[in-house]
Amino acid sequence: MTAKEFKEFVKANGVKKAAKEVDVVTTGTFGAMCSSGAYFNFGHSDPPIKMQRVWLDSIPAYTGIAAVDAYLGATELDETNNMLHGGAHVIEDLVRGKAVRLKATSYGTDCYPRKEIDTYVSLKTVNQAVLLNVRNCYQNYAAGTNSSSRTLYTYMGKLLPEFGNATYSSAGEISPLLNDPYYRTIGVGTRIFLGGAQGFVIWEGTQFNPGVPRTAEGVPKRPAGSLAVIGDLKQMSSDFVRGLTFTRYGTSLGLGIGIAIPILDEDMARNCAVTNDKIVTAVFDYSQQSRSRDVLKEVTYAQLMSGEIELKGKHVPTSSLSSMYKARQISEMLKNQVLRGDFMIERPVQNFSMDRVFKGLEIRSEKEAM
Amino acid sequence: MKTKVVLNFSPDAVNQPVTNNLISKYHLLVNILRAEIDEIGGKMVLELSGKADDIRKGIDYLKANGVGVRPIKEGVRRDDDVCIHCGLCVSICPTKALTFDPKTMKVLFSEEKCVACSVCIDACPPRAMEILI
Repeated sequence: MTAKEFKEFVKANGVKKAAKEVDVVTTGTFGAMCSSGAYFNFGHSDPPIKMQRVWLDSIPAYTGIAAVDAYLGATELDETNNMLHGGAHVIEDLVRGKAVRLKATSYGTDCYPRKEIDTYVSLKTVNQAVLLNVRNCYQNYAAGTNSSSRTLYTYMGKLLPEFGNATYSSAGEISPLLNDPYYRTIGVGTRIFLGGAQGFVIWEGTQFNPGVPRTAEGVPKRPAGSLAVIGDLKQMSSDFVRGLTFTRYGTSLGLGIGIAIPILDEDMARNCAVTNDKIVTAVFDYSQQSRSRDVLKEVTYAQLMSGEIELKGKHVPTSSLSSMYKARQISEMLKNQVLRGDFMIERPVQNFSMDRVFKGLEIRSEKEAM
Repeated sequence: MKTKVVLNFSPDAVNQPVTNNLISKYHLLVNILRAEIDEIGGKMVLELSGKADDIRKGIDYLKANGVGVRPIKEGVRRDDDVCIHCGLCVSICPTKALTFDPKTMKVLFSEEKCVACSVCIDACPPRAMEILI
């Protein structure tokens, strides 16, 4: 059943019965996932070129790998910093079946004599088009607000002055990693719903930080785990892969991820029974321009999703960066795929290390870095 | 009745107290939704409430004084194919024209409550909101 249905089932029947009767719980999330991108193999032209600089619809892609491979990042912008159309938008255009302009230049070699190429490519013409994201699907995320006297434009959206609003970014109780807080069933090799297709978890996500404070039930109270994922862009749908613009911040990829969690035992059932009133996050003041902002307040997702929280005696309207509507839709779709036998669930090839820590970046000498 | 209009001011029309006249002479309730006017002219978006006859007379008065008048049915429009229902717009909308349907968690847009302040336009990540002026 879906995570939403499972919580209602546990409420009515208890954890014991749920652990006995329910095999799989499907979760979902849809939100801005910046650390995303796609790699391509364009095929060789005649005469061939060893691409040294590559642009897809004017957005630079990284090609410091083999001759006709390139990686396009979701947050990459063109030379004019046009935030309405970045790497994420090119990825969405490709998923929509559009053709995009490929330009490449090179210095030319004996084996790759061509020095420039200007052509069009689409998902039909390229050999591989693979979404490869190094940090997605955050397990919990901070909430943002703004105490200053001017509007702030951030990756948490538009934050109005004098605590005018607060934004958050998690699907809460139906979000994948909040239902498996200790990563028992989600690890390297886990099959996932990714952008409408099936993909895989390939590693822990960057900034993986399982050691943050947790609630009595074990749910992290701060951004903790994250996933590195991979999937075939050619199989994905623009319903779940979207280019997003955060004004004066940049672009990001709106991406849908769903994970089916097997109810191994009563502990797993207890974890998946977690509800929004038991999931806590911290509200930060984004006018404080520091790596380690002070926690203004801890709130639950039940409070955040009520549409209003209280901050410094003020009623502050809240809203989300991630789409609950789409998150629910993904958990429903995944449930149906599991029921039809189209989505296989396996044990992770390897579990994540709980020892990872999240370090900052200091200005240091060569010696200090060693 | 209520109607929304866009006024275009030429440099000559800028110095006339048109808003005041609409209120005092034509008994209209005037809600200024947007205004960008300087010495070389500009634009203003008004919501006019009053009797149909008074609104017609008020608009005739504006036209007779060199102010361009164009009615608009709606100030802000949402492209439903683009909206992802994240709801980032919900907490910044001052008139609660954008709200969540608690059942489906879709974002609902009430054109009636919208005053075309346009705060949602650049806050929308997939750029689903558009202002029509």
